[in-house]
Amino acid sequence: MSERAPAVHLSPRNLPTRASLAILGLIGLLCLIGPLVSGHPYHQVYRDYVLVRPSPFAHPDARETHAALEGIARRMRVGVESFRAESGILHLTLSADRPIDSRALRAFERSDVFGPARIVETNGEGRRLSIDVPLKRTVFLFGTDANGRDLFTRTLIAGRISLAVGLLASFVALTIGVAYGAVAGYAGGRIDALMMRIVEIVYALPFIFFVIVLVMVFGRHFVLIFVTIGAVEWLDMARIVRGQTLSIKQRDFVAAAEALGASAPAILWRHVIPNASGPIAAYLAVLVPRVILLESFVSFLGLGVQEPLTSWGVLVADGARNIQGSVHLLIFPALFLGATLGALQSLGNAWQGSPGAGSR
Amino acid sequence: MLRFFLSRVLTAVPALFIIIALAFFLMRLAPGGPFDSERALDPEIAKNLRRIYKLDRPLLEQFWLYLQSLAHGDLGPSLHWRDFSVNELFAKALPVSATLGAKAMLIAILAGTALGAAGAMSKSAIGPRLVDGAAIFGIVLPVFVVAPLLQLAFGLSLPALPVGGWNGGAWQNQVLPVITLALPQIAIVARLMQAALRDALAMPHIRTLRAFGMPGHHIYIHALRAAFAPVVSYLGLAAANVLTGSVVVETIFGIPGMGRYFVDGALGRDYTLVMGTVIVVAAAVLLFNLIVDLILAWLDPRVRYDARRR
Repeated sequence: MSERAPAVHLSPRNLPTRASLAILGLIGLLCLIGPLVSGHPYHQVYRDYVLVRPSPFAHPDARETHAALEGIARRMRVGVESFRAESGILHLTLSADRPIDSRALRAFERSDVFGPARIVETNGEGRRLSIDVPLKRTVFLFGTDANGRDLFTRTLIAGRISLAVGLLASFVALTIGVAYGAVAGYAGGRIDALMMRIVEIVYALPFIFFVIVLVMVFGRHFVLIFVTIGAVEWLDMARIVRGQTLSIKQRDFVAAAEALGASAPAILWRHVIPNASGPIAAYLAVLVPRVILLESFVSFLGLGVQEPLTSWGVLVADGARNIQGSVHLLIFPALFLGATLGALQSLGNAWQGSPGAGSR
Repeated sequence: MLRFFLSRVLTAVPALFIIIALAFFLMRLAPGGPFDSERALDPEIAKNLRRIYKLDRPLLEQFWLYLQSLAHGDLGPSLHWRDFSVNELFAKALPVSATLGAKAMLIAILAGTALGAAGAMSKSAIGPRLVDGAAIFGIVLPVFVVAPLLQLAFGLSLPALPVGGWNGGAWQNQVLPVITLALPQIAIVARLMQAALRDALAMPHIRTLRAFGMPGHHIYIHALRAAFAPVVSYLGLAAANVLTGSVVVETIFGIPGMGRYFVDGALGRDYTLVMGTVIVVAAAVLLFNLIVDLILAWLDPRVRYDARRR
């Protein structure tokens, strides 16, 4: 009984579409798998590696080894007599005025640069100690932040959050918008006019204020960010669905369903919403990047995701604060955010331009 | 036209009232109060403070009192900056934000329409694509990414412009914030303009003009009139977007405008300050929408007739 609008589909031959899909797939995969294989928990703090520059090579380099060694020697109150590095192992000779307590060697283990120390030789009643210390090899592909946390892992964890917020908040907006728009359009008349008037008024409300107040009322809970953003972004969806409903309810199959005694919710669910799915899907493709952007905006202001968890907005805010000296903190998250948003946007454009998406 | 104008004003006033009411009660719904701090205040002092600011009255009475003072143009005393009234705070901040916003909008309109028109008029296939591609960058790159990048490029690597501060509105201090605010709007306007002008150029009356052998500029004047409608109707939203963007821009560039009152006021539960910002922003958006409606009605007679019929 129900006529179907032509299915919305993306032409995979289109080069921008293909590139966008590839970028999204790559970023999605990286965010999903990356944190598992990066070798760094996202909240692990490396005190010896604060604001390290990005590099594909393993740390520590000679300078970092030296600095860490000096720090440990100072804390142990010993002098370093000789120092020779050989295939990942440091051969050290320590000396002091008093016998060296071998328990103090644990300081090596505790640092982020060295492994556990092994005593090779003890001389002068324990005043001279020859030890072998292995170097810990760590790679910080994107460098580290001001707290010494691996930026690569954090960027990908942030991506998970941002993408999750994007999808879930869009879902919230979708649900509210479709229900609201369909009801307004189907009811028509005074109810429709009133409901759309409300939408217009909420439009004039500066949404950022709305978000701030909702965050204050609900607290800064992770899940509530979805709800808050969804609660702000449903307006356009409601308008689109209402417009579609107005035209769909004139069609013969709706009249037939009414004649057969179908209830209003049933007609909306079975006939109106499925037939409006093309424009809904097309708008959804534009909504997801907007929601991600909004989340990062809210997080940028410090109202969104809270530490140690993070999102791209938080990372970019961090980068903006550390711009003098540590550009990588801004560049990498911004690159990921920009690439994701760009890919989504161009997909949305392609989708809206495709046959069956309908025009607004 | 007058009738059209009046009907629009009459719908804007209740909208503003509803926004004020919504903001007022939503703020009070939020937990915490303006006088909360790390150390709890002495109960007597807190009581006195609440009495002085009339926060101990019933909520509806407070709302009524607020509306009364609002009718006199008084936004009330700030609860956080105790020595200032909200009016005094805004008297300093509003001109700064308005200057930035107005310049950004102006640049967005001029550059956006010019770029879009150039794209639509170009004979080659690359022109429109170039505009579309560049526009995507402008749309997706968030203000808070563009701002630090610009700081980095023009303030630090190539120390030509100050990285932040207002300095009494010296032009050097305005360049980067205005560009940051304008960029995304330029992108959107350019896209809209290009699509609209392309559609307009394909319309029958343009084809007729071409068939008559009219000169190029004559044809474009006719096409532009039709193409401006979607661009103008976007400007209302653009104003709202610029206002939102200014929150970030003013934070990053350290500009003493309205933007910071948004966030600081809400977090500090400075009720009167937040109400003030909401009213100013909502009124600005409504006013801008009104102007947009008027321009649309002037551009397209169908809009006027439609309103009269209703």
